Amino acid sequence: MSYLYTINLTKLVNKELENKFLSDFETNQNIAHKICRIYTTNQDAHNDLFQEITIQLWKNYAKFRGEAKFSTWMYRVALNTAISLYRKSTRRVKTQDIAEYSFKIKAEDYDETEELQLKALYNAIRKLNDIDKALVFLFLEDKPYKEIAITLGISEVNARVKMNRAKDKLKKVLNP
Amino acid sequence: MDLDRYKKAWNNQPEETDTVSKVDIYKMAHSKSSSIVKWIFIIGILEFAFWLVLNIATSNSSYIEIYEKLNLTTFLNITYYIHYVIIFIFLYIFYKNYSSISITDGTKELLENILKVRKTVKIYVYYNLITFVILSVIVNFIIFSDLGKLKEIFNIENISIDEGNFFIIMLIAQIVFLVIFLILFWLFYQILYGILLKKLNKNYKELVKLDELN
Repeated sequence: MSYLYTINLTKLVNKELENKFLSDFETNQNIAHKICRIYTTNQDAHNDLFQEITIQLWKNYAKFRGEAKFSTWMYRVALNTAISLYRKSTRRVKTQDIAEYSFKIKAEDYDETEELQLKALYNAIRKLNDIDKALVFLFLEDKPYKEIAITLGISEVNARVKMNRAKDKLKKVLNP
Repeated sequence: MDLDRYKKAWNNQPEETDTVSKVDIYKMAHSKSSSIVKWIFIIGILEFAFWLVLNIATSNSSYIEIYEKLNLTTFLNITYYIHYVIIFIFLYIFYKNYSSISITDGTKELLENILKVRKTVKIYVYYNLITFVILSVIVNFIIFSDLGKLKEIFNIENISIDEGNFFIIMLIAQIVFLVIFLILFWLFYQILYGILLKKLNKNYKELVKLDELN
């Protein structure tokens, strides 16, 4: 009897955890989409990476005890997945795919110049290496250096120095 | 040029139109991962299994009779026991390193831990190759040190053969076998791990470079 009760209780706790995860992730999913956009060049790959990020977030969610904000934790797991776990699909990518894929985000109510700038920005970031991508992305997302350092596992001083270099590289790609 | 304009565009970017619903998130969260770490783990286990099977297969082969005639059985048995203990230790380290991989660590540490798992398997394979070569040399040395006995064992019907030729043919056959085996092995490794680890090594090197003092 008590054994069955324990099982039900565990199930209930799991259910609760799962529901919390689903709503946390649903509201923050845009972070994952942005990361997929900079680390992949076509829609299939975007979906693949998005799925792997979802798997990793859920697998480790029980360990996330709310000591940080969910979004902060999510940046780390999602970037780690893109940098270390995700295997680029071997399918050949047509250039057309890239052009089409660049913009699936809604362009309504969005300034045309800004849209062009955003397109150029995404294309430039995609040309950087995986680590510089992460640095630039965290800069664009206004993350403090302390958080960037922890996310990448490097010292804060180095994060600052390397950030400037990554930004320079980005500028060069944007304005050759 | 300043990045400010671009940053403004970034901040103002609209949300993804193709948002994923809770139902889809649920489905995705419960689907199978196809991560690099998973492949490293699977291939690592296969490598452990491969060498274990190879060891067991060779220790039970028809050569046992020959080894008995050459008084090598005790020597080989002891080597095998030690060998299995060492394999077990390797498996333990492999598993321990594998479980220390955590996606919630900083990227650098994460990459280090993943590469450590791979390194364990690499050392394990080197260990197997080296013991394989050393044992071959020892056994060959013992076999060829007594040509009379050797002829007696391999030539039960006492067909007369030229002693010099026999020795050379046996030696060449063994060397050729060993070289072919090593080349195939090396090729297999280059392809398999080349594909799997290229990205990890590149990113790790980049991070190490990043974290060096300026």
